[in-house]
Amino acid sequence: MSRPPGRKETHKISRELFVLTYGALVAQLCKDYEKDEDVNTCLDRMGYGIGIRLIDDFLARSAVKRCRSYSETADMIAQVAFKMYLGVTPTVSCNSAAGNEFSLILDKNPLVEFVEELPAERASLCYCNLLCGVIRGALEMVRLAAEVTFLQDKLKGDAVTEIGITFLRKAEDRKHKR
Amino acid sequence: VSIICSSPQNYPLYIRSVPTENELKFHYTVHTSLDVVDEKISAMGKALVDQRELYLGLLYPTEDYKVYGYVTNSKVKFVMVVDSSNTALRDNEIRSMFRKLHNSYTDIMCNPFYNPGDRIHSRAFDTMVNSMMMQVC
Repeated sequence: MSRPPGRKETHKISRELFVLTYGALVAQLCKDYEKDEDVNTCLDRMGYGIGIRLIDDFLARSAVKRCRSYSETADMIAQVAFKMYLGVTPTVSCNSAAGNEFSLILDKNPLVEFVEELPAERASLCYCNLLCGVIRGALEMVRLAAEVTFLQDKLKGDAVTEIGITFLRKAEDRKHKR
Repeated sequence: VSIICSSPQNYPLYIRSVPTENELKFHYTVHTSLDVVDEKISAMGKALVDQRELYLGLLYPTEDYKVYGYVTNSKVKFVMVVDSSNTALRDNEIRSMFRKLHNSYTDIMCNPFYNPGDRIHSRAFDTMVNSMMMQVC
């Protein structure tokens, strides 16, 4: 059962509402947990829960073919998934010769639109860690284990926001089980 | 010239004066002008509150300064004190300055880490106020 691809998007909600909701979520987590690592872990876990469910919606709506390689997968995430859900297209760059580490570089991150900078006592908070969890969960449901972290963050003073995806196990290994 | 942003409970959220001598006098002038603002708000009563009503105009002229006021729908007040010698400032310019202040204030409100009622410590707000003051001086 797949959703018809030509279905008109009649259920749009306002972008400000979404951004403010995410901000309220992070602010509440900051009040609940004292340590930044706890907040980051919590955001990652929430993102994971979203990702394992979102992947089916994504595959149904975008009807993409099976990816043959990690770089195709990374391209798909950047150009189709991010575009579909967040409206931005990060650029993809390959970080390792083995071809299993990629970076998504985001110029503009809609989630941090109203946040100027992190409060002083929360210097190591990964504000958008939810996105890492989403990517990790989604990849896991298509049998690709990956580690996703933030390599650079504009909120912490870096020039761009960079998400690093490291694929942990070659997809072909499944055929060579002993 | 001096700019103050004060909360609905009439304590200051943001104070900035240029030049910095006589700062106390500025604070005093602004504090007394808050009374005038409150008077105007209560006088409006059931009148329709639209963008024009938010701008309160010249509150009262003293021999040295002119004081302008602006109140938002959430009763946050902006008060601006400028030198009377600066006659080049027209009403429209003051209005646009207040509009910019209001826009920057709403951006700060949207920051999830800002609690309403806190003092304003935002760099973007500071930059905007600085550039406005450069324009005026």
